Amino acid sequence: MTKDSEGVGAQAFGAPATGATQSSTCRIAIDVGGTFTDLVVSRSDGTAKTLKLLSTPDDYSLAIADGLRRMLADGAIDPRSVGTLAHAFTVATNALLTGNGARVGLITTRGFRDVLEIARLRMPQLYNMDWDKPRPLVPRRLRFEITERMDADGAVVTPLDPASVLDALTKMQAQGVDSIAICLLHSYTNPAHERAVAELVRRHAPELSISTSHQVMPEIREYERTSTTVVNAFVKPVVDRYLASVENGTRAMGIQAPLMVMQSSGGIMKADTARAFPAYCIESGPAAGAIAAAALGEIIGEKNIIAFDMGGTTAKACLIENGEPRLTDEMEVGAGINAGQRLLGGGGYLVRSPTIDLAEIGAGGGSIGWIDKGGALRVGPESAGAAPGPACYARGGDRPTVTDANVVLGFLNPAHLLDGDMPIDIAAAREAIDKHIGSPLGLSTHEAAWGIHSVANAAMIRAIQTVSSEIGRSPADFTMVAFGGNGAVHGATLAAAAGISSIVIPPASGVFSALGLLFARIQHRLVKGFWHDLDKVDCKALNCRADELLREAGDMMAGEGVAVSGSELHLALDLRYEGQSSEIGIPVAKAEVTPEILAEAAERFHQEHERSYGYCSRGERVQIVNLRLRARSLERQDYLPTPSALRSKPANASPGERKVYFGPDQGWIATPVMRRGDLGEKPLTGPMIVEEYDTTIIVPPGARVHAAHSTVRIQLAAKD
Amino acid sequence: MSARPDPIRLELMKNAFAAVADEMAATVIRTARSSVIKEAMDFSTGLLDPQGNLVAQGLCLPVHMGSFPPTLATVLAKFGGRMQPGDVYALNDPYTGSGLHLPDIFIFKPIFHDGRLLAFAAAIGHQTDIGGRVAGGNACDNTEIFQEGLRIPPLRIVEQGRPVEAFFDILQLNVRVPDTVLGDVQATIAACIRGERALLALADKHGGDRLAADMADLLNYSEALTRAEFAAFPDGEWEFEDFLDDDGFSEDAIRIAAKIIKRGTDITLDFTGTSKQVKGSINLPIAMTKSCVYACLRTVIDLHIPTTSGFMRPIKVIAEPGSIVNPISPAPVAARGLTSMRVTEAIWGALSRMLPDKVFACGAQGDFGVTIAGYRGEQKPFVLLEFLFGTWGGRPDKDAIDALSSLAVNYSNTPVEIVEREQPIRIEEYGFRQDSCGPGKHRGGLGMVREYRLTGVEEAVLQVRSDRQKFHPYGLSGGAPGAKAGNVLKDVGGARSALPGKFMRTFRRGETYRAELAGGGGWGDAFTRPAELVRQDVLDEKVSVASAARDYGVAVSAGGVLDEAATLRLRAARGATE
Repeated sequence: MTKDSEGVGAQAFGAPATGATQSSTCRIAIDVGGTFTDLVVSRSDGTAKTLKLLSTPDDYSLAIADGLRRMLADGAIDPRSVGTLAHAFTVATNALLTGNGARVGLITTRGFRDVLEIARLRMPQLYNMDWDKPRPLVPRRLRFEITERMDADGAVVTPLDPASVLDALTKMQAQGVDSIAICLLHSYTNPAHERAVAELVRRHAPELSISTSHQVMPEIREYERTSTTVVNAFVKPVVDRYLASVENGTRAMGIQAPLMVMQSSGGIMKADTARAFPAYCIESGPAAGAIAAAALGEIIGEKNIIAFDMGGTTAKACLIENGEPRLTDEMEVGAGINAGQRLLGGGGYLVRSPTIDLAEIGAGGGSIGWIDKGGALRVGPESAGAAPGPACYARGGDRPTVTDANVVLGFLNPAHLLDGDMPIDIAAAREAIDKHIGSPLGLSTHEAAWGIHSVANAAMIRAIQTVSSEIGRSPADFTMVAFGGNGAVHGATLAAAAGISSIVIPPASGVFSALGLLFARIQHRLVKGFWHDLDKVDCKALNCRADELLREAGDMMAGEGVAVSGSELHLALDLRYEGQSSEIGIPVAKAEVTPEILAEAAERFHQEHERSYGYCSRGERVQIVNLRLRARSLERQDYLPTPSALRSKPANASPGERKVYFGPDQGWIATPVMRRGDLGEKPLTGPMIVEEYDTTIIVPPGARVHAAHSTVRIQLAAKD
Repeated sequence: MSARPDPIRLELMKNAFAAVADEMAATVIRTARSSVIKEAMDFSTGLLDPQGNLVAQGLCLPVHMGSFPPTLATVLAKFGGRMQPGDVYALNDPYTGSGLHLPDIFIFKPIFHDGRLLAFAAAIGHQTDIGGRVAGGNACDNTEIFQEGLRIPPLRIVEQGRPVEAFFDILQLNVRVPDTVLGDVQATIAACIRGERALLALADKHGGDRLAADMADLLNYSEALTRAEFAAFPDGEWEFEDFLDDDGFSEDAIRIAAKIIKRGTDITLDFTGTSKQVKGSINLPIAMTKSCVYACLRTVIDLHIPTTSGFMRPIKVIAEPGSIVNPISPAPVAARGLTSMRVTEAIWGALSRMLPDKVFACGAQGDFGVTIAGYRGEQKPFVLLEFLFGTWGGRPDKDAIDALSSLAVNYSNTPVEIVEREQPIRIEEYGFRQDSCGPGKHRGGLGMVREYRLTGVEEAVLQVRSDRQKFHPYGLSGGAPGAKAGNVLKDVGGARSALPGKFMRTFRRGETYRAELAGGGGWGDAFTRPAELVRQDVLDEKVSVASAARDYGVAVSAGGVLDEAATLRLRAARGATE
């Protein structure tokens, strides 16, 4: 891949982009990752243009401005026609990972100064005496107790003593604090004291940034609420400056459309809101990929999808059910990837906010194969990364990676990748595999390569199982959408192993996440605690709480410029059996909740419990814990750029065939190599390889493949 | 069984079996009712071969490790050859079933494929209550196991898919919170059903014979990895002793003597010289003594060795019958968790003599078990059961971690807001104890306090099992010990009185019980600790100005101003030892 800061691979889709059509409006997606900044412009006439640049980590807004300027300069964008400007960013995550955030002071209830540092006491790795706990984002010297106390019902036990607040404030100011987190016990049920403290801070120190827990995360559990509020406070000034800078840049170019930001939950919101609640945007980038897969599914009529994204160092899986990516309640930033993190937690900075649930595994194209002391072949988690890279890149890497194995097996072009931009040294790949795997184990080169390929698959299958069978879903009921640089290389084999029969490869794999931004809708999720036994609920009280939620949601949507008529509202009840500590969200159809609706909800809760966990207990008391409301706009882009618009760059290599090793059962098979454009709607039978600029699609023997919409679809042969 | 296993298949099947055990663990977490299981994760899952060898264990409680094989052996001894598809077996009794203590109910489900016994899915769940004279099943003042609750010998509790009503009826009647307990037992059964389903899918794909061979290969592989690690340790014998304050009845200290005998690729842990079994219920059943040995040895070898019976083959345990680490019926065992902590500390102490650059000083682990129980109106019972953890000791290359569960338990805490929502109790404080860390070049972790006030009912029973009031957590390599633990009662008027380590008493509305956890031991001479690190600890009020001068020889003001000349004088006066 070219290393200069010029665009690395600009692709024009569709009609030559000589001057934007004045009458058409366009949407711009900007997806900023740690390495690349991807831009996509999608016009209402169906044409699109993409641009990939190296990111500028010192100031990420620079690459954005550069990219937009270039698109303006070559006429791809008319600033006045930009209707939507959607953005996914990593600034918040980076601030957490590098520790370069605000100097935060924490105000908490007397007796609970150490809640943040004690955390949940648990570590993600068993037996590891060398483990280190993440350093608290607020050191003990900046955590202050004030005199006040609520009980679990929100009744005041000890009134707020303003003097204790002012005393803490003075000490914090003396220590140079610039952002304040306020988290008091039971504020999720009665925020009066937090409000009063915030008011005192605003009055006496108006320059300080303030995050209150009842606004950031109004849910029970003091550690989770404190941590989320502290994360918000830590990244708030950083995100605030960054988004202001991006917005100033776009305005200066004459783009009037407001900047919209992707949230971890998959909806977008105005940059203004993101600046107040940046904790909601921590997983901005990964969410975009899941939304892209969901939107693609909707367009091609697939509601149930497992999105599989395999890149250079990791692979991610996400479950999409009835068109909605599955959410998790919380995530931890900086936890790294290990099997225990998901179950045990404790490895990173906890943020409790609805987040698209991704299972991530340390296996990618750069993952290194090695032999352990017990003589077993292992792959990863060590990765050759971009430097030195796989041995076949001939950049100094001499250890065998998954990409080397794929080259030796014939899955990847043995001469070059990226349409010739990246030369491949297959001899180096063979040598690395022989030396480190084949010779020690007494295997031939291709057997050893097959081993690396298969072991990497085994790790990735666990990611797929994590998001499906572990929560009671059968992968067989889902279609796989495979993307990322290596997604389509491994997708079909993985799908076969997991029991999935249908695979879809989207257009523009390399910028697929950015496409997701085009499809995202404006969305807000609100929650209110409401603790009652379901059979004793006072519907009037419940409806009253729900009305509060509806009003707040209406206000927030209005703030985004979305009218009530232009949005849809989903009310859900978080239900559980008495004593359980996790809930299942059961949607309720009407805003006016009646005892009949509650009875129905209880029945659906029993059914969902049975489905997810294998049993239900109809005799047991069901409790309601929270009311949840999701408000989102109806309007969004509902088409993919037309197929002709997405034809890949003309082929440098002439299509032909090459020998591919499909494992010991099938051996080496002469396999046709084609371009995506060669595929039609009439199914062809594999084996087959489809090469594109930034991805390679492997169609296993016996599988059927055809083009549909802008995608490539693979149907695996039915099992005997 | 293949002579030389296929190195690729080995890795693939290791992943596949581990995925089954983890999927079972995920099922327990999602379906259990009690906070002991859901929040504290006091449970484990596993997969065993037909002979009862452990093939995979879910990511759960380390001191449960290795406890499935001996318990399954008692089930096989009674039901071997008579098992049917759809059966589920259970037990909790340490003497007829080799269980851990009565609240830990074991579940085993035989998995049949093509009419042949292929494997067992297994789960352990710590039940919130199991009947007996004190709620919570954790009392330390029982004197015989008959007081400790419902004893379940190896039993068939589901017969070919049909629950055995008698068992569930008896269980329901004998426990104080039947909905919670039956729900949690259901959760562990659901996990085994999930495990069965997942393993059968593998068997359909690979064939039962092949899968059996894979299990055998995996055991041999883990054994080979373990032996390779042991081979790198020096040969020899190393001894260590640590003490429990008492058993709550007599004043006598209880000695735990651990000797490591390392020869070639084998390690023996010999507990000869350990005190006799005691009257109070802190006797440690042999299955758990072995679990402690396995867990500690895992902390000094490669983290990624699969947890199987193969790993356990090179390890022998010698524990005299009738000693506190191998009690004879009817010795009570309810509060044996305390002894398991001290046993791991004695083992780590011995390991530190074999591997001085690898092992941490003594932490303050899970010595505290707190139960507050009583009745709300309408005679509705409530039980709060909390185990309080914990902090680490200083390490050979760095400080301890403040506030972290024992490495042998990996337990979590219960959120204060959840306690207050569900129980008639208010938590008044949960935080660090200043100066409780053992001074050292790498200091020990800070102990913590947790204060409970009874607010919602007139009275309740308060029962506490704790220790370390007489013996400090030890330091290593010249590091000082951590602070001792304490129990304090504050009456309604606020007057404080000290309580012993183990007690049961009436708890009245408005009274406060304060648990003061011990601190972790330091590693290395505190007078060689960089003054800047001491200054940072003073700024954070983790270490007081007085302790900085006295224990570290560092003169620093509360505001963090370091007096270098005075520090030099302090340190020269005592003479630091590197």
